Amino acid sequence: MTFADVVGQFLSGLARAGVLFLIAAGLSFIFGVVKIVNFAHGALYMVGAFLTFSYTKTLGMSFWVAVLLAAVSVAVIGLLMEILIFRRVYGRPVADQLLLTFAMVLIIHDVVRLGYGSNLRSVSRPPLLAGAVFMGDIIFPSYYIFIVVVGVAVLAGFWAFLHKTRLGKTIRAAVGNREMVACLGKPLPWLFTVAFAAGVFVDGLAGAIGAPLGGIRLGMDFDIIILAFATVIVGGFGSLPGTALAAFIIGEAYSFGIWLMPAIALSLPFIIMAAVLIVRPWGLLGRSGGGEL
Amino acid sequence: MSRRGRVLGGRYLVLSLVVLAFAAVATPITAQQPPIKIGVAGDLSGAAASIGQAWADAIKMGADEINASGGILGRKVALSIRDTEFKVDVGIREAKDLVLREKVNFLLGGISSGVSLATSTSVSKEYKVIQIASVANTHRQTVELFQRYFFQVVPNTFMEGRAAAQVAAKQQAWKNYYTIGYDYEFGRMQAGAFVETIKKLRPDVKIVGQHWPPVGETDYTPYITSILAAKPDVVYSNLFEAGLGAFVKQALPYGFFQKVKFVSFADVSSMMAVPEMPEGILGYTRGEFYCENLPELKKFTEAFHARYKYYPVSYAVMGYDSLFVLKKAIEQAKSIETDAVIKALEGMTYDSLRGKFTIRASDHQADVPEYVGWTMKDPKYPFVVLKDIVKVPGSQIMLTEDEVKQMRAAATKK
Repeated sequence: MTFADVVGQFLSGLARAGVLFLIAAGLSFIFGVVKIVNFAHGALYMVGAFLTFSYTKTLGMSFWVAVLLAAVSVAVIGLLMEILIFRRVYGRPVADQLLLTFAMVLIIHDVVRLGYGSNLRSVSRPPLLAGAVFMGDIIFPSYYIFIVVVGVAVLAGFWAFLHKTRLGKTIRAAVGNREMVACLGKPLPWLFTVAFAAGVFVDGLAGAIGAPLGGIRLGMDFDIIILAFATVIVGGFGSLPGTALAAFIIGEAYSFGIWLMPAIALSLPFIIMAAVLIVRPWGLLGRSGGGEL
Repeated sequence: MSRRGRVLGGRYLVLSLVVLAFAAVATPITAQQPPIKIGVAGDLSGAAASIGQAWADAIKMGADEINASGGILGRKVALSIRDTEFKVDVGIREAKDLVLREKVNFLLGGISSGVSLATSTSVSKEYKVIQIASVANTHRQTVELFQRYFFQVVPNTFMEGRAAAQVAAKQQAWKNYYTIGYDYEFGRMQAGAFVETIKKLRPDVKIVGQHWPPVGETDYTPYITSILAAKPDVVYSNLFEAGLGAFVKQALPYGFFQKVKFVSFADVSSMMAVPEMPEGILGYTRGEFYCENLPELKKFTEAFHARYKYYPVSYAVMGYDSLFVLKKAIEQAKSIETDAVIKALEGMTYDSLRGKFTIRASDHQADVPEYVGWTMKDPKYPFVVLKDIVKVPGSQIMLTEDEVKQMRAAATKK
């Protein structure tokens, strides 16, 4: 066991953390603002991946354009979902909301199957990011550097949006005190729509960026959904810095677990989740009584 | 008797005689025999989705061919295809439904060794319905958990691990092995068989580490870095399909395949999922269409490709074999009665797409071969194929009847 090995394992954990954060960020944000648990989150992530495939392979776009376009497309889909369906259930009991978002999962799943069939698809990393960075014995694939950079950009972008723009500040205010904001004449429904679209944009972006990592197939929505929820719960629903911290902890725990304690490596994220729920039920950086963005 | 009665009686008599005569002659043509129902229960979604789909497609094609040429014993074949989703509880539920509600006469399946084993012990054995597996190959189905209604026409995990080990053992420079296998029935049994065999053949071999990722794992990076940290000579893997694709994709930037030798599943389904599969990998498979130069296999491949527009993987080949093995057994037994068909299957020699094989009576395992070769790109196909193929015959890798007895005895002692 050399220092290089430890760094190598740390970097794998970082890579996994980056992917986890992107997957979980949208979920956390949407819950924080709109207070809806978006089960369709995994399905939208999957749509982002499939669209990236279509844009690059079928339509021949460059990787970068395809990724951005896929994320925007998913945001549009999310927007339509919100305006046409979710808006009508904001006041309803939580069970209704859960059922509805879950119904969306099944519908999206079948639409994707109708459109793409059940075959596996593949997207390659762009040539610029196909290699690795070498630091002596330590290797770090360039694509993971890209993922971490995007994760940081998303974190920074959301922070800037929420703290520096008028719209963002209004959204934060609406989270803190809905009635007051409504009294001030701000159009609440549209605020929530914007927030929902922003969250779903990140879902699609995660799917698009995650696409070259493995295969694109039906079922990838279910693959990530449980870990995404665990990450959000550990970090605190509605807190993006919390989600980032949780992703980091879970990613590193998993990576070192596989190396040093393989027997329990898979349960580590959930052991951590259970511990956090017992000690700090609102998550590491969440606030008791509600999320603080 | 009135004159009218006599004329009517006469007419009626003649008419009845004519109708009776006609009925006697016409019975074979107009009689409706119920179809032979075959339940096809496999994983059509999940980690082995394209494997299951190809397998089901081949069976469908086979059933259509059978029905077009008169059926089995003059009866049509009716398939009932179910998706067991790579989940044991779904597998048992679907198999039970096929047997109890649809009243199928036979079961073909499964794909996942875990699901198949569960179906064998909970459904096939329980309800006395013959199950023929042509993909799921855990050896426990024919050894420790053998039950007389189960048959296997695919090389079992012991045979497969042994075949790969026999060829790997010949590489003198390969001394330190790391294994990576899926953490379920198949992954554990097959990797276990490989390790047991390679250690026997090469006492100088060391296993420096073993990984057991869960089925459906998509991020192999921590596995890759820890394997490279252990600096093995060779990595033995039984990852397949999408999982193998993700592993290879993620390993390539690390220069993985320049650093270690790799032994891997090389079936067409998995190779289609891994467009970046490097050349020079030691690959093993149960019988791809390019592994044998047999006319029946060629005919099957062309028919499959023409109908489905993709190449049949070994699982499709074996699925087709399993259906026709069943057909031959029913015809030999001249009945669909379970005990008669079992008797016909035991010891039966069948001329399959892969050549002749015999189903051993003591454990219902067919002495089918495993093919081991080196990966190579072929411009004819959108996937990597094998060259310098070593056909390891079933007789060389099958557990002997003594070994089977010993393993069964050891299992009952626990």
